[in-house]
Amino acid sequence: MGAYVLRRLGYGVGVALGVLFLLFVLFFTVTAPDDIARKALGEKAPQVAVEQWKANHGYDRPLWPWQDWDDNLLFDHYTKMLTFDFGLSDADDAPIMDRIQAGMGPSLSLTVPLLFLGLIVAIPISLLVAFFRETYIDRMGVFICVLAMSVSTLLYIIGAQFLIGKILRWYPISGFDADPLLLPRFLALPIIVGLMSGIGGDVRFYRTVFLEESARDFVRTARAKGAGEARIMSHHVLRNALIPILTRVVLAIPFLFTGSILLEAFFGIPGLGSITVDAIRANDFSTLRTMVFIGSLLFVLGQLATDLSYGFVDPRVRFE
Amino acid sequence: MSGGHLEARRGRGAAVLAAVVCALVACSNDPYPPGDEGALVYYSSFVDPPRTLDPATAYSSRAHAVTGAVYDTLLKYHYLKRPLELIPGLVESLPEVVDLGEGRSLYRFRLREDLLFHDDPCFELGGEGRRTREIESADVAYQIARLADPEVGSPVIEPFSNVLGFMDFAEALAERRGADPEFAALRAHEQYAAIGGMAGVRTPDRYALEIELARPYPQIVYWFAMEFTTPVPWEAIEYYDGEEGRPRFADHPVGCGPFQLTVYDKQARWVLEKSENWYGVRHPEWRAPAAVYPSDGTDEQRALGLLDRAGEPLPLIDRVEVRREKESIPRFTKFLQGYYDGSGIAKESFDQVIQDGALSPDMVDKGVFLSRTIEPVVFYLGFNMDDEIVGSADGEKSRKLRQAMSLVIDGEEFLRIFTNGRGMAAQSPLPPAIYGYDADYENAYRRVDVERAKQLMVEAGYPGGLDPSTGEALRLVFSSYNTTTAGLLQYQWYTQAWRQLGIDVEIEATNYNQFQEKVRRGALQVFEFGWGADYPDPENFLFLFWSEMSRVRHGGPNETNFSNEEFDRLFVSMKTRPNGPERLAEIRRLIEIVEEEAVWIPIFHRETYALYHGWIGQSLDYGISIPTYQFRSVDPALRTEKRADWNAPITWPAWLLLFAFVAVVAPGIVTYWKERQ
Repeated sequence: MGAYVLRRLGYGVGVALGVLFLLFVLFFTVTAPDDIARKALGEKAPQVAVEQWKANHGYDRPLWPWQDWDDNLLFDHYTKMLTFDFGLSDADDAPIMDRIQAGMGPSLSLTVPLLFLGLIVAIPISLLVAFFRETYIDRMGVFICVLAMSVSTLLYIIGAQFLIGKILRWYPISGFDADPLLLPRFLALPIIVGLMSGIGGDVRFYRTVFLEESARDFVRTARAKGAGEARIMSHHVLRNALIPILTRVVLAIPFLFTGSILLEAFFGIPGLGSITVDAIRANDFSTLRTMVFIGSLLFVLGQLATDLSYGFVDPRVRFE
Repeated sequence: MSGGHLEARRGRGAAVLAAVVCALVACSNDPYPPGDEGALVYYSSFVDPPRTLDPATAYSSRAHAVTGAVYDTLLKYHYLKRPLELIPGLVESLPEVVDLGEGRSLYRFRLREDLLFHDDPCFELGGEGRRTREIESADVAYQIARLADPEVGSPVIEPFSNVLGFMDFAEALAERRGADPEFAALRAHEQYAAIGGMAGVRTPDRYALEIELARPYPQIVYWFAMEFTTPVPWEAIEYYDGEEGRPRFADHPVGCGPFQLTVYDKQARWVLEKSENWYGVRHPEWRAPAAVYPSDGTDEQRALGLLDRAGEPLPLIDRVEVRREKESIPRFTKFLQGYYDGSGIAKESFDQVIQDGALSPDMVDKGVFLSRTIEPVVFYLGFNMDDEIVGSADGEKSRKLRQAMSLVIDGEEFLRIFTNGRGMAAQSPLPPAIYGYDADYENAYRRVDVERAKQLMVEAGYPGGLDPSTGEALRLVFSSYNTTTAGLLQYQWYTQAWRQLGIDVEIEATNYNQFQEKVRRGALQVFEFGWGADYPDPENFLFLFWSEMSRVRHGGPNETNFSNEEFDRLFVSMKTRPNGPERLAEIRRLIEIVEEEAVWIPIFHRETYALYHGWIGQSLDYGISIPTYQFRSVDPALRTEKRADWNAPITWPAWLLLFAFVAVVAPGIVTYWKERQ
């Protein structure tokens, strides 16, 4: 297993290096250091100020190693990322690590409840729909799920803000306050939207898994032994469907840290998704590469953790 | 784990759960914590946080929304007078100007005594237990030296390079830092002192400040009404270095203005609170002009209620609460719910709010009022005067081509189509509220006349738009830095207008940097651009045509590279002349030259529509990016009443949902239970 983990980690490093290279190429294909400087300084800034900014931030160096072997931006890019020296934001010179630490709390306060509530809501509904398979409840459930999946998240956001925030006035339409007494009030609406936009896909996925498990021999045996349908669904089907459920959950865990870009932007939650959007809008290369790098690392580690978790849940799985 | 401990944990868990349930069940869309119902608070929002709050580098309206309230300036603008007029701020009177001959001049300022910085721990650097200290003229001199410091990277080096020794100081500083590590390790103010300071900035005594200019630049006084020249304590620069958990100075301003920044979460919220150290609060008996609501307004302003608080000490509110709202729809909805006191108008809601150029009946019923301000901004189409076809080299021929192209662009129609009618069709580079603006002035080439334009095309040698050298339609390239769909629609509207003359104009939209590069090289023909005033003087617009400011030749903001001897001579004279009939005549002639040469096609002056609730007193915007929080007034009782009226939650759908849920789930539970039996 150790060799397997090492090999997978090696692949992960390769992926992260590739992501960093692609990001560098793509970013500097459409954006020049002058653009970064002008975004930071404002359109009225004279060229002399732009040059000074570039010199102060190291963007006066050539991009590629063949232009200057010792001192180029690509080398600096890799050195900083691989040593986890995220440095300062290009937009406002603030330490990027401080910003990530500050943004992680708001992001997790949204994504963690969303993940668990999603499971709590989606699994019973999937079980119910699978329980009534081939009936109108099943067909109606699948239809509603496909409908829910087809609607854009933006529409859910605008609809919920309009209906729940504006017409019914249950919760603030947007905003964030870390005060524990106020926080649930601000998170209610984004969580409702997150649940609605995700539930269609989740229910369809879990329903398929449950139906697959329902057709197995052990279920037929349980039924032959006289076990009730409800007991079969909760004790036999659900328990044996844990691997795909776990896969989906473990894969989602890394992205809890990177936040939800749309929900954070529209509901004014100052999390990591919001930081990423700000970095894109501000041509803030330093912050953007950090967020992409962290995202790619978390993805690689998430994949590895998912694979390893199979072994713990199902002893038949072997790592080679 | 002991039973007691377990019980305590369960108790805590239950308390948290109860708090969450209570918070969720106690439906309310109020985004603020309770307790501020009677407070004199102004609630507002921001979209993106400022890059920096360092007054030496902050050069955007979003930064000035904070720095303008936190940092006070030597001079201020009169709140009600238009065109804007300077009044003393931190100084006792407007500066005394002494002509030193040979173009040199001296500006003498005298700071008021007993002015204090805001309370801040940084002042312990100057003595244990100190929380503030008196402001001295050396603090202003220090800030001007910071503007020259290459490590600070101020974007306003160019205007201050008129100060005697400014650039020499910058060079000496950089040189000494490179050569002497011990010098470089000194504190910034010690370094400045060690190289002898700046020749043109002197502090004869604790409160006196002398600024000597090496070249004529009377507009320097306007820069003393901006935060670039605010007093800055050296202690703040040294203390707020971003080390050991301390914030950076760029995120922690230490100023001397009417408000102190007490909360600054860039991503979510900032709070300004009335500073007890501000001279207007500490010394109301001074009746300082910038610390009292002005009484000298016009009858029209009186009728609008702008003089209701005349003579009262400022600020009129105690706190400003600003929350981040990235998206326009939630921002505007919160305004309609009464949670923001003021707002712009969301594009999506414009027709709902404004009908026939006035507020809709719904808005009037809510007690909302509209404040409209024409900004000192001009958007224009420019011609590169170095270009072979549209430029000045072709003399009369290209002039007539430019005039013809100007005659078919309808500014009024542009505003109707692209700005919901917000704005004023421009006749000249000068917007209203700038000295020299003439409301009756009509540019002969800015009223649409297609027939005359076609005639001019014939006279220019392009009959029917045909280029005799190719026998095909005259081809031009239109350059822009706006690649959005909305931008492209505008450009297509321009090119369609020019197509009436038979001119085939190709649109070349690039990103801003590529566009700037083309401007820098003079590699364009026709382009779109805009300019907003730094200060309310015609010089700040007309210098865009001065040959000394040519982008290609001198790197200045004259993007068209226009060069005209008469214009240059008159401009230099107008620049240094005090306001009066002679200056007005010169301004008029300068505008005529620009009109006749058709260097620009002025399109429009931007207009902002701001909505305020009825509990906010009438207010006026400066137009330039200076916040007016200290002049805002609020009736908190009315706000609380209206918020309660507008936001009572509708709960019956929740009960219906609960009923539906029970109706669906209960039979399932019963079935399961029966099966188990």
